[in-house]
Amino acid sequence: MILSSIVFLPLLFALIVAVWPKSNTIRHLALGLSIVEFILSLALFRQFDPNSAGLQMVEKFMWIERFGIQYFMGIDGISLWLVLLTTFLTPIIILGSWTSITERVKGFHVAMFVLQTAMLGTFLAMDAIFFYVFWELSLVPMYFMVGIWGGARRIYATVKFFIYTFAGSVMMLVAIIYMMYLTQEATGTMSASLLDFYKLKIPFVGGTFFSLQTLLFFAFALAFAIKVPAFPVHTWLPDAHVEAPTPGSVILAGVMLKMGTYGFMRWVIPLFPEASEYWAWLFMLIGTVGIIYGALVAMVQPDVKKLVAYSSVSHMGYILVGLFAFNAYGMSGGLYQMLNHGISTGALFLLIGMIYERTHSREISKYGGLAGVLPLFTIFFFIITLSSIAVPLTNGFVGEFLILLGTFQAEPVFAYFAVSGVILGAVYMLWMFKRVFFGEKGELVKDEHHPLHDLNAREIAVLVPLVIMVFWMGLFPNHFLNYSKASIDYLVNNRSNYNLTIVEPGATSTQHAQGGN
Amino acid sequence: MNMNIGLSDVLLISPMIALFLVSLIPITAKVLRGNREQPHAVTLAQALIGIVIAIGLLIVFGGGGKTAFNNGLIFDGVTQWMGIIALGAAGAAMVMMYENPSTTGKQFSELIFLAMSSAVGMLILVSAVDLLMVFIGLEMMSLALYLMIAMSHEEKLSKEAALKYFILGSFASALFLYGVAFIFGSTGGTNILAFMDSAAELVQTSRLFLFGITFVILGFCFKVSIAPFHAWTPDVYQGAPTPHTAFMATAVKTVSFAAFLRVIATKSLIGSDHLFDILQWLAVITMILGNTAAIIQNNFKRMIAYSSVAHSGYLLIGIITAGVSDNGAFGASGVIFYLLSYALMTLGAFAIASMLEKSENHIVNVDDLAGFAKQRPMLALCLTVFLLSLAGIPPTLGFFGKFYLFNAAIGEGLLWLAIWGMISSVIGVYYYLRPVVVMYMKEGNAEVASHSLNATTVTTVIMALAIVIMGFVSGPIFSAVEKSLF
Repeated sequence: MILSSIVFLPLLFALIVAVWPKSNTIRHLALGLSIVEFILSLALFRQFDPNSAGLQMVEKFMWIERFGIQYFMGIDGISLWLVLLTTFLTPIIILGSWTSITERVKGFHVAMFVLQTAMLGTFLAMDAIFFYVFWELSLVPMYFMVGIWGGARRIYATVKFFIYTFAGSVMMLVAIIYMMYLTQEATGTMSASLLDFYKLKIPFVGGTFFSLQTLLFFAFALAFAIKVPAFPVHTWLPDAHVEAPTPGSVILAGVMLKMGTYGFMRWVIPLFPEASEYWAWLFMLIGTVGIIYGALVAMVQPDVKKLVAYSSVSHMGYILVGLFAFNAYGMSGGLYQMLNHGISTGALFLLIGMIYERTHSREISKYGGLAGVLPLFTIFFFIITLSSIAVPLTNGFVGEFLILLGTFQAEPVFAYFAVSGVILGAVYMLWMFKRVFFGEKGELVKDEHHPLHDLNAREIAVLVPLVIMVFWMGLFPNHFLNYSKASIDYLVNNRSNYNLTIVEPGATSTQHAQGGN
Repeated sequence: MNMNIGLSDVLLISPMIALFLVSLIPITAKVLRGNREQPHAVTLAQALIGIVIAIGLLIVFGGGGKTAFNNGLIFDGVTQWMGIIALGAAGAAMVMMYENPSTTGKQFSELIFLAMSSAVGMLILVSAVDLLMVFIGLEMMSLALYLMIAMSHEEKLSKEAALKYFILGSFASALFLYGVAFIFGSTGGTNILAFMDSAAELVQTSRLFLFGITFVILGFCFKVSIAPFHAWTPDVYQGAPTPHTAFMATAVKTVSFAAFLRVIATKSLIGSDHLFDILQWLAVITMILGNTAAIIQNNFKRMIAYSSVAHSGYLLIGIITAGVSDNGAFGASGVIFYLLSYALMTLGAFAIASMLEKSENHIVNVDDLAGFAKQRPMLALCLTVFLLSLAGIPPTLGFFGKFYLFNAAIGEGLLWLAIWGMISSVIGVYYYLRPVVVMYMKEGNAEVASHSLNATTVTTVIMALAIVIMGFVSGPIFSAVEKSLF
């Protein structure tokens, strides 16, 4: 029952928040509830057996019998970390939004919890339609988050976000239904279970676009690529990020984009192995272009939040390249980078939100010399900057290094180009850092009517866990990689014959004991 | 023709009899009281009791494919489900009539009488398997409606709407009757069951029959507003008082689709490739046109009217599926399930529009919703549910409606129709989101009409809850529909 509890507790929390009578304690309540959720996910983590590549803690029963649609959840090494990332970031976001969300506080937290359910469900659902329900549900709270608490052009941004991502996923729905009929043809009974989908042998003809596997591959890949967002379908992201309130940006960058790359790992690559292999060059190209393009565009942004938004396009490009390298380095690097990006970009958006609350501006040219005024803030910003540009000993280094290693092994050409992103990343981040924190004091920093205050205790509490994660993940990557190793190895080695099995609860505990020795 | 009317016939049509008898109560009371209205609430209660009795009788005595009146009427799963949906929708629309400023005048008893007579026509229509019976049902339903719209207190727009509806409705009836004549000429009968099995062959061998069936289908296309025969829909929907619009858009559409389904179930589409192709293109054009035209509407009712045109397009996919499928029950239950979800969400959207109308000639624009979420958070949430469901966002009922419909279509190899359906639902999202944007994200002062509107509010909340809850248990509902058909 633990997976269901983890997924649906936030929905219950949303209800509790919605009917909570005292409006001045809603923030405390929400923070407390989100910490409960995080603790629960740690319990899940403890139960997880890192030595098994199979699906663990499976819960399933028939939901819509007529079409073989199941309520089916399971966790493996790929989804484990994404679940933890979600539950880890939520309390931080709620604490971080303490003073930035002042209107309709109740509604905000309701949306937050609904979104948490939708995201966790997406990562844990193992039935295509069940997955699709969560996948689409996640749009609704995000839509309100940007649209109600966002900036000046929030409506344009939120409608664009919704329509882009909705348009991407409807073809996936057609493909899912089609595949349900394929299972019916193959086994006699219709099923939407992912495990049954894996068993399908979908015909593939190389060299032509119109082979069944290629079409299904693209129907899925488009949905996920828009969510990632991969070049050239990324344009909704900068708009959404810039207009979203700080917590919205954090959840968007921190978790929602990962739904796309997770989709590639869980659905596209194992379901359509031949097509993935055949079209890998295309996605590596898209990823590489995204890396360079995102970095170049980030460089010229006058708005620091937009800069970070474009840096997301660049960083997510790495993940795509890594996944399509199809080796253990690339894949685990991709997964690691998902977590890194969630933490460091999430932290960057939080930091930008903190300074925005003080000055109500995000324009780089109006800052300057902040380091002298806000030393603590500068230190935190610097650490996160280092993580974002992948300096060794920080988390970012591990991810990018593994990805480049994997890419070099698979397609050296793409590695040559992708590696330039590392340099470009350093250029735009450090240049921005220099302009904001050093040099002459800018007009906002000098303003004597509004003296700037350094970080308060709450803000430090928001940032410290993130900084801890930056170093922990940078110094001890094996603490994390070991948990996904079995799953990723299995995916890499059995891509063309992927056959995820369900681990029985009894077997898990014995294996777990062995693994512990 | 040898007519033997026995007890079973009477029992089978007992819902209609009951509905008709109850419909007489309000106007009789009015006459006995010296042409004075009894309290409106009493009238409404009588009407709702009548509807509940009719639904009960339909469930108890209907079903099982029993026929009455020399195979003129059939009582099977389609009759029961579509009848229940239509009667439920009619009941909800009457609740709106009770509280909408433009329908609560001195003639409320007459209005309810007409609405119930129309419902009797609907019950005939859902059960008719003889084309002449279909015609009688259609006319009985429509005539009452023309009067309902025309007698409303709203001046110009309503009269225009009534006239437009009357003229185009009559035109559709004429086309339909023309087609029936051709069918009679070529087969010697008008009973659908009689030519059911041979229709696929007949359309190939008999040009006369092909003409006939084409005209009958065209008549239905008018009735259910399939593009390009939809032109009356936005005008009439906008011009009629909102409760009437809700009545037309849901109950009338449901029963018209029921009759359409019966004609299509003859499998004439399999026989004629042309007919099949034409209907497919009509479905595509309807979906795209309805959704794109809705984008530019600012009038809320007109927008939902165009959206209902688009939904006719989706339903036509289901109708085509049922027409070409060997397993007709699957396609047909897709249509029925979709109509169930469509009726709930469209009724809900119109109910909100009805509540926003403060006076008789008040026009509700999308921009008027600004600030609605702050004034009436509960109703705003309900409207959001209706719109998300109309757009087909999970986990609402609307998503599952589309899912079952497209699932059936893909199962029959109509993949490209399903893809068109998906593309047009993306277009649809754009305008379904607009009211949500205005409600939640724009400042304003949207007020619902001053008289408290309790009954309509309750109905609205129930419908919103039903959309969410039924989404989760849609599987058993769908299976129940499918099992009851054959």
